[in-house]
Amino acid sequence: MPTPVKMPRLGESVAEGTVGSWLKQEGDWVEKDESLAEIITDKINAELPSPVAGRLAKILVQPDQTVAVGVDIALIEENADVAASQSVEAAPGPDAAPVESPARANVAVMDKQSASDGNGSKAAVQPSRVGEEERQRISPLARRLAREHGIDLNDIAGTGTGGRVRKEDILAYIEQQQAAPAVPSYAAAAQAPATQPVYSSPAPVAQPGYTPAAPSAPKAEPAPTVIGPDEELVTPSRMRLAIAEHMVRSKRTSPHATTVVEVDMTNIAKWLEKNKEDFKRREGYSISYVPFVMKAVCEGIRKVPTINSSWTEDNKIIIKKRINLGMAVATDAGLVVPTLYDTDQYTIAGLAKQIAAIAQRARSNKLTVQDMQNSTFVVNNPGTFGTIISVPIINQPHAGILSMDAVVKRPVVIEDDAIAVRYMMYLCLSFDHRILDGAGAGGFLQAVRTKLQSYGREIDAY
Amino acid sequence: MTAVTYLEAIGQAIREEMRRDEAVFLLGEDVGTYGGAFKVSAGLMEEFGSERVIDTPMAEAAIIGSAVGAAIMGMRPIAEMQFIDFITCGFDQIVNMASKFYWRSGIPAPMVIRGPSGGGVKGGPFHSASPEAWFFHVPGIKVVVPSTTYDAKGLLKAAIRDNNPVLYLEHKLLYRLPELREELPEEDYTVPLGKAITRRAGEDMTILTYGAMVHQCLKAAQTLEQEDDLDVEVVDLRSLMPLDREAILESVKRTNKVLIVHEDTLTGGIGAELAAMLAEDLFEYLDGPITRVAAPDAPFPYAPPLEEAYLPNAEKILAAARKLAAY
Repeated sequence: MPTPVKMPRLGESVAEGTVGSWLKQEGDWVEKDESLAEIITDKINAELPSPVAGRLAKILVQPDQTVAVGVDIALIEENADVAASQSVEAAPGPDAAPVESPARANVAVMDKQSASDGNGSKAAVQPSRVGEEERQRISPLARRLAREHGIDLNDIAGTGTGGRVRKEDILAYIEQQQAAPAVPSYAAAAQAPATQPVYSSPAPVAQPGYTPAAPSAPKAEPAPTVIGPDEELVTPSRMRLAIAEHMVRSKRTSPHATTVVEVDMTNIAKWLEKNKEDFKRREGYSISYVPFVMKAVCEGIRKVPTINSSWTEDNKIIIKKRINLGMAVATDAGLVVPTLYDTDQYTIAGLAKQIAAIAQRARSNKLTVQDMQNSTFVVNNPGTFGTIISVPIINQPHAGILSMDAVVKRPVVIEDDAIAVRYMMYLCLSFDHRILDGAGAGGFLQAVRTKLQSYGREIDAY
Repeated sequence: MTAVTYLEAIGQAIREEMRRDEAVFLLGEDVGTYGGAFKVSAGLMEEFGSERVIDTPMAEAAIIGSAVGAAIMGMRPIAEMQFIDFITCGFDQIVNMASKFYWRSGIPAPMVIRGPSGGGVKGGPFHSASPEAWFFHVPGIKVVVPSTTYDAKGLLKAAIRDNNPVLYLEHKLLYRLPELREELPEEDYTVPLGKAITRRAGEDMTILTYGAMVHQCLKAAQTLEQEDDLDVEVVDLRSLMPLDREAILESVKRTNKVLIVHEDTLTGGIGAELAAMLAEDLFEYLDGPITRVAAPDAPFPYAPPLEEAYLPNAEKILAAARKLAAY
C-alpha cells in the first residue's frame, strides 16, 4: 500500500491549501522529511516534508489546484526497492503522516499578513519566480512576442529542444487564450466568493475535495495585459498575489473606518532615553515603544472587548477571551506578522523579551505554523519608517488594527495654555464598522492613550 | 529557340554586349584562338577579331592591370581568369587599383573580372576556389554569383554595364549541367545587381545561399517538405556586394529562423557577415540560432572522397535545417 500524502492543515482556520509546485517528480526518491511540495494557503507558504521515505509514486493534485485539508495529494511507495513484496508494517495508516501536525518547527513560513499594516511596499517580492524565468529557455522572438502580448513565460511549456519556448508555443498559447473566455482581472477571478453578498451563507469550505478554483471547469485565464513600449510587466510572486487577494478581500469584507488619537509619549520617551542602554546591557535584548503600546492595547481591549473579536459569516460576533497580538516584523523575505500569545499576561520587560525572541525567529526564518496563527488583533509600527499617520487595512478576520506612528517632538499646548516641547505620537485605528462604531473605537483609543500617558518619570518595567 | 547551358549563356552575354558596345572587349589566357579553357568564348575571336578578344600571357596581374588601365580610359574590359584561383596574382590591381580608382580620381573603372570558381569537379586545391569573401571585404568592388542560366546571362550583362569593377564568379560545376539548360528570352535583358531572388517560398525557415549551393538547398528543402512537413524558403542572393538587405531581412523577419549555406569555408565567410547583420537587425525576430553550413576551414582537398566530405551538400543542409527547426 502506498502511503498517501495529505494536504496539511497549515493553520487553525485554514480549510484548504493549494499546491504551489512539486519539488519532486513522479518516480523520484524522497527521504523522510525531505521537502516534497510547496503548499500555499491564505495564511502561509510552506514546504511540505515527506511523511516517509520512498519513491513518489503518483502526484494526485497538480500545481495551482486547491483541495481541502486532509485530501490525498500524492502517493509514496515506501518499498519501492522491493516492489513485489510489500510488508504490512511498512504501510502505516494515514494517521502516521506527520505532516498534519501544525507545529512542525522546520516548516519554513512566510505570512502574507505582512501587508496588513497598509505598508504593502515593505513586503519584498520573492525573486524566485524571476529566477525561474531567467533559467527558462526562450528564443529571442518568443521573448519579444510574450512581452508584446503580456504573456507570463512561466505559463508556457516550451516544445523546442531542451524545453525551449519558441514561436509555435507562444502562438499556440495566444490562440488558446483567444478561444477561452476572458476574465477581467486576477482579483475578480480569485475572489469569486467575494462577489456574493457579504452576508451570504458560509461557503462549504470543509467539503472534502472542494476547490474554489473549480478545476473541473476550464481554468479561466484573464485577458493578456498589453503594455506600451515604456512600460515593464512584472509577474507578482505567489506571496504578492496572496497579499493582493487578502487586501481586496479585507476591504470587501469589512467596512473600514479609521480614527486617530494623539498621545503624549514624553515620559516614556525620556525613560527610554535614560534606560535603554542599561536595559539592553542588563537583559540582553532591546526595549522600545512597542511593548508599552502593546501593554496599553491590552488595557484598551479590556475596556472595549469587541475590539478583540471577529464577525462571522453567519453574522455573529465572536469575542476572543485571549489577547494574542500580531506584531509586524520586517525580514529579508518580507514583512511577517507573528503572534505574541497572551500578550496581556506579560510585564513591559516580559513583552520586550517576547518581542525580541519572535523578531529573532522571524529574521532567521524559524517561525513555526503556531507563530503564524491565532492572532486576535494586530499592532503595527510603521513609525520606524518615520511615518506620522497611517491608515492600515484590517488583517481578516480581526475587528481592527492599530498603527503606531513615529514619536516626534512637537510644540504642544499644555495646562494653563503654556506651550511645551513634547514627544508626540499618533495612534491610528482602522476598525470594522460592522462590529464597532466610533464610540467603541474612540473608547478603545482613549483607554490606550490614558494608559500610555499614565506613566510617570520613573517606570517599573518589571 | 533552343535551350542553352549556363556556359553558353555567359558566352551569349559577352557576345551581345560586345555587339552592343564597342568599348566592351575580352582579355585573358587562351580566350581567343582556343576559345577559352572551358570554351566560354568560343567563336568570339572569329566575330570580333584579335583586337577585341585578346590572348594574354599567363600573368594575371598584367591582365587585370591592363583591364584597369583600359577601364579608366573609357573602355569596358572583361578580364577572364582561366581558373578563379589565379585571381590572387592580380590581387593588388583589384584591391588597390580597381576598387579605389574612382575614389581617388573621380574616374570610374567599369570592368568585369570573371572566371570559373567553385569545386565538385575533382579540381584539387588550385582549381576549386571560392574567392568571394576576399573581395567581399573590399569597398569599391561588386561581387555577383549566378546560380541559373538566366541569371548567368542577365547578371553578366548588368555587370558589364555597371560603372564599377564587378567580380563575376561563375561556377564551373554548373557550366554544362543538363538540368540548368534553359530557353532564354530573345530580347535583351539584365538581372539587376544587388537584388536577391526567392527560389522557393516558405514560412518555417529561410535558407540564404548563392551559387551552386542554391541547387543543394532546393533539394534539401524538397526533402524537408516531404519528410518533415517543413515549409522552407530558399533565397538566392545572386549579388553578394551589394547585398539585398531588404529581401534578406523581409524573409527572415517572416520565418524567424535562418540557415546560411555557402561553399566557401566557414570562418570570415559571407555567412559571418550575414549572421552579424541579422543578429544586429533582427535579434528579436529570431526563434533559433543563426546557423551556417559551409566548407570546413581547410584547404580544398584533392582526393575525391575528401572532396565529397569537404563540400556542403543537400544531406548536410538537411541535418542542419532539422536541428534548427527543432530548436
